[in-house]
Amino acid sequence: MTPARTLRLAYTAVLTLVVVVFSQRCGTPQVAGDDWPVEGGRLVATFRTEPTNFNRLVDAGPVGRLSALLTQATLLRVDPTSGDLEPRLATAWTGTPDGLTWTFTLRPGLKFSDGEPFSSSDVLFTFQALYDERVGSQLGKEMQVGGLPLQVRALDDHHVVLTFPAPFGPGISILDSLPILPRHKLKAALDAGTFPAAWTASTDLSAIAGMGPFVLTEYLPAQRMLFVRNPHFWRTDEQGRTLPYLDELEVPIVPEQNAELLRMQAGQADLINSGARAEDLAMLRDAQTAGRLRLVEAGTSIDVSTFWFNLTPGAAATQQKPWLGDEIFRRALSHAINRQVIVDTVYLGAATPVYGPVTPGHGEWYVPDMGATPFDLGRARTLLTSIGLEDRDGDGVLEDTRQRPVRFSILTQRGNTDRERTSAVLQEQLRQVGIAVDVVALDVPALRGRFGSGDYEAMYYGASSNSKDPADNMGFWLSSGGFHFWNPGQSSPATAWEAALDALMQRQATTMDRADRRRLFAEAQQLLADHVPALWFAAPTITVPISARAGGATPAVISPPVLWNAEQLYITGTRR
Amino acid sequence: MRRVAGGLLLGFVLLALLAPSVSPNDPQVQSPDRTFAPPMRVHVRDSEGWQAPFVYRQVLVDRISRTYTDSHDVRVPLQWFVGGRLVSVAADRGPLLLCGADAVGRDLCARLAYGARLSLGVAVLGACGALLLGAWLGATAGTFGGRVDTLVMTVADFVLVLPVVYLAIVLRATRPLVMDTGEMFVLMSAIFAGAAWPDVARGVRSVVASERSRDYAEAARAVGAGPCRLVGHLLPAAYGFLRIEFVLLVPALLIAESTLSFVGFGFEGAIPSWGGLLKDSEALTAMYSAPWLLIPAVALFVVVLALQTLAGAGASAVNIDRARTHR
Amino acid sequence: MNSRVAAFALRRVVAALVLVVSVSTAAFVLARMAPGDETTADEAAGLDRQLIARKRERLGLDRPLVVQVTEYSLGILRFDLGQSAKYERPVATLVAERGANTARLAFAALLLSTLLGLPVGVYTGAYPRRWGARLTTVISSAVLACPPLVAALGLLFLAVSTGWVALAPDRLLAPALALGLPIAAVLERLQSQATREAMSAPDLLAAAARGIPPARLVWVHAARQSLRPVLGVYGIVIGSLFSGSIAVEFVTGWPGLGRLLFDAVQSGDVRLVSGCVFAGGVCLAVGNLLADGLRALADPRVRELA
Repeated sequence: MTPARTLRLAYTAVLTLVVVVFSQRCGTPQVAGDDWPVEGGRLVATFRTEPTNFNRLVDAGPVGRLSALLTQATLLRVDPTSGDLEPRLATAWTGTPDGLTWTFTLRPGLKFSDGEPFSSSDVLFTFQALYDERVGSQLGKEMQVGGLPLQVRALDDHHVVLTFPAPFGPGISILDSLPILPRHKLKAALDAGTFPAAWTASTDLSAIAGMGPFVLTEYLPAQRMLFVRNPHFWRTDEQGRTLPYLDELEVPIVPEQNAELLRMQAGQADLINSGARAEDLAMLRDAQTAGRLRLVEAGTSIDVSTFWFNLTPGAAATQQKPWLGDEIFRRALSHAINRQVIVDTVYLGAATPVYGPVTPGHGEWYVPDMGATPFDLGRARTLLTSIGLEDRDGDGVLEDTRQRPVRFSILTQRGNTDRERTSAVLQEQLRQVGIAVDVVALDVPALRGRFGSGDYEAMYYGASSNSKDPADNMGFWLSSGGFHFWNPGQSSPATAWEAALDALMQRQATTMDRADRRRLFAEAQQLLADHVPALWFAAPTITVPISARAGGATPAVISPPVLWNAEQLYITGTRR
Repeated sequence: MRRVAGGLLLGFVLLALLAPSVSPNDPQVQSPDRTFAPPMRVHVRDSEGWQAPFVYRQVLVDRISRTYTDSHDVRVPLQWFVGGRLVSVAADRGPLLLCGADAVGRDLCARLAYGARLSLGVAVLGACGALLLGAWLGATAGTFGGRVDTLVMTVADFVLVLPVVYLAIVLRATRPLVMDTGEMFVLMSAIFAGAAWPDVARGVRSVVASERSRDYAEAARAVGAGPCRLVGHLLPAAYGFLRIEFVLLVPALLIAESTLSFVGFGFEGAIPSWGGLLKDSEALTAMYSAPWLLIPAVALFVVVLALQTLAGAGASAVNIDRARTHR
Repeated sequence: MNSRVAAFALRRVVAALVLVVSVSTAAFVLARMAPGDETTADEAAGLDRQLIARKRERLGLDRPLVVQVTEYSLGILRFDLGQSAKYERPVATLVAERGANTARLAFAALLLSTLLGLPVGVYTGAYPRRWGARLTTVISSAVLACPPLVAALGLLFLAVSTGWVALAPDRLLAPALALGLPIAAVLERLQSQATREAMSAPDLLAAAARGIPPARLVWVHAARQSLRPVLGVYGIVIGSLFSGSIAVEFVTGWPGLGRLLFDAVQSGDVRLVSGCVFAGGVCLAVGNLLADGLRALADPRVRELA
């Protein structure tokens, strides 16, 4: 035995002994011995968007959401990972059997971050601002049932009663998005009609107060936001320690994904505020092996890009190329597209093939294999022939009955790698069945302009959603909705099946029983699958990188994936 | 040195002209199981001794980290002049990827060759357009002087400050949504010609203006040559300037095209141009695990270097002025 | 003489100002002609039509183009660039903020290229036969051929493959190198040439004959003399630094004017677009004026022509 080897053995033995002794000292077995919250410290979470307004009622975008999640509190919260309701400002609530009237008990002794006491008057004020015409809140439009606002009144300082104008399926979970704002800070602005300008990016930050875990103390345009612990935050963990664990949360504004990743890799950022791109996973996995970070899978995304044809009545596209509006044509396309190839090339395998807008990420609402159209070129060709699309002159491209080539253009979003690449794959796959496709990438404004005026043939684009509940996504399902992509904003349903779809969705939105709602929604999905108004290909898997030193993250598929629970983030340490 | 540069340039021009025969694959064909595949090594020797040049088939090991291994059990011999291609492999033996593959598994080598057509073509055509326009306007300004001169030079100053990106977007917006490659090619060249002429015009104007007072010009005027004839007499003095200007404009426009396509305002995605190809390498991590995506950048560098060597020393000062065209 | 110079300078400044105003007005018109406007993104987000109509009214989108353009150009004359629809802040503030970043980058690049280019240029010019000088010449002509886009991509590649944090794209170093290295190469080439010419000038030969040590001859006498022609290029360099950085800003994510312009184009924020063009025009105009001034300092003949 060489001396070096002896030494190494002895060293290992001592180390093992130390570990054994210490682990017994600690008593209760801890799964991850060093994943224990240290109180205090600062974590860094990058963010893409430059703020314009910190008020969620005014800014419906990502900044408004982030700022509300960090600095404001809601009556209750829907845990995006489990879907469970959690008490927040309200400790308890009781509802009438019809589900229309709810009484909330407010948490006693609460204070806003500026030390002012919280009472039911703040809740009333928030609702007043929400529905004020001069505020024109987008959230206010969304928080209506059947076009009517929710009614709220106070019983006393600590009890409020909320009344729904009509039965509403999602019920009180709708309150998850409404931050309760400080009346004492904003009343004057609301009265003066200057509410939207009260908390803009250029206002003095001391004007902002809230009951969330953090307080925004610094905003440097194009650089960063700094959130500091709110001393009046009420929540404690199981051990009775006050939350948030962190003293500070720094949010640098990094609009660029490369910079974001390099920061992450260099240990200068602990979180990024989105899932990682599939092509970045290789690098991140190496960083994980090196012990710099962890990759946590949040699940399957609920946002799937949609491919649809312009079915608006009188659209130039369908007048010249009637087959574009043919259901059988779309079904043939669906068979001609190999979704697994899209999953493999565009998402490098980190996605799930889907056939509808509802993905495994939607949990209870997802119906496996709903409307599945397996990849089958033979079937696709048969279907195309059945509507008179054949290669009559042997040039490899199909012609319609009037001898014109089967050719159409797909508009997609410029700069969105996934969408651009998927379009390229579609182009190549449809070439196999003799359909010529032109792909045009446009900026969002130009794309939206075309969508608005109905001046396009097909589009590959999508919208993102903050809720898994179908009743919160009626803009897509209803024929009158703005996100009813193929024919948005119909004054009356253009087809019989859309009328049926409208009826089904209305019923499921106003049904209180969960199982009934699931059944109705499955019927709606089946209706959609039967008429293939649009095609869906793949739902990406959301993987979130988290630095090795950050703990307490429970990533969700709804954005923001990690910061929704910022109060429980901590710097990992060893349990003492 | 200049001979080497000339040779390199000739190589790229040939690559562009003969793209269909030089590239081993169709630039549009995608191989789903070759996404981000690395360049293949050409072997001439294995355990059994010397062989005719051959490659090994690539086998996908891990999609996410883009790991491929060579399957050593079968040699895939290169075949020459088959199916109109200089070099290729049998169709059932998978694509021959001499420069690797891009994000959707297209042959980078083929795309580089076809991209050379567009990128070099736009640069040369744009430079020719700019020279013609600039020489005409500059000579006019220099010969006539006075108000015409002021007008032309003001417009030149104006165009110099106008961002090219804008010109590109607006002109693109006035055209139909779907444009074929040829139309796009002409449009891009026109945009560059329209953006690059002021530099030429300034130079030509100063040459012509200083020539105007020379004896032969005075003589021509004395025998009754009108301003238009005079332009014809004076312009030859600017030939030397125009020649250097051309060699300088081509790389500048090449860079401008690449930058524009890279940022997304040039050729559409599926059409290969050098800047468009570089877009794939924009993602940091693509570079991390697929550095061959930078091959178009190397090609760009080599062409610019070669042109600069041809232009010779002293051109560097003018070159920095060209930086403006990058916008 | 002095008053003539002042009048000339004034005329140049006024001309530059008119140019900048008309260019940003033209940008406004061009941007308005492009498809989509400030509210299309809101339509995308499914915002209420009533709200969008109100926003259009606030931004004056409901009025004819001629009115909008006239109001805009009158605004510029009062240095009022309007309000950005995307950021909901005054364009002037935004442009100033991002412009400061671009200026920081440009200054760093300029400093870097000066500190690198000039001394090396004197060295290669004074001792052209040394192998070090030959090597440098080869390197600098290679760097010269490196467009900012390629340089930035190369540096980024270096950053990922080595893991050097200093080269992280949002740090100053990487973009400054990408922007500054080619300029350093230009300065080196020019300085080298000028030094070589100065070394063979009669006065330096005379100084050498008087027995001034060779090192002093090179680094004091020749360097001072050769600096003049190089100075004249600086103005052009400054102008191009501001405008030529868009590729670098894009690759490295540096939050400067180029990036702002790009984002503005993307979101159809017309006023912001024109504001960026305004700022770019000002930079270019200042660069040109500086170039003329420096050239006048370096070469008395230019002054007489004025």
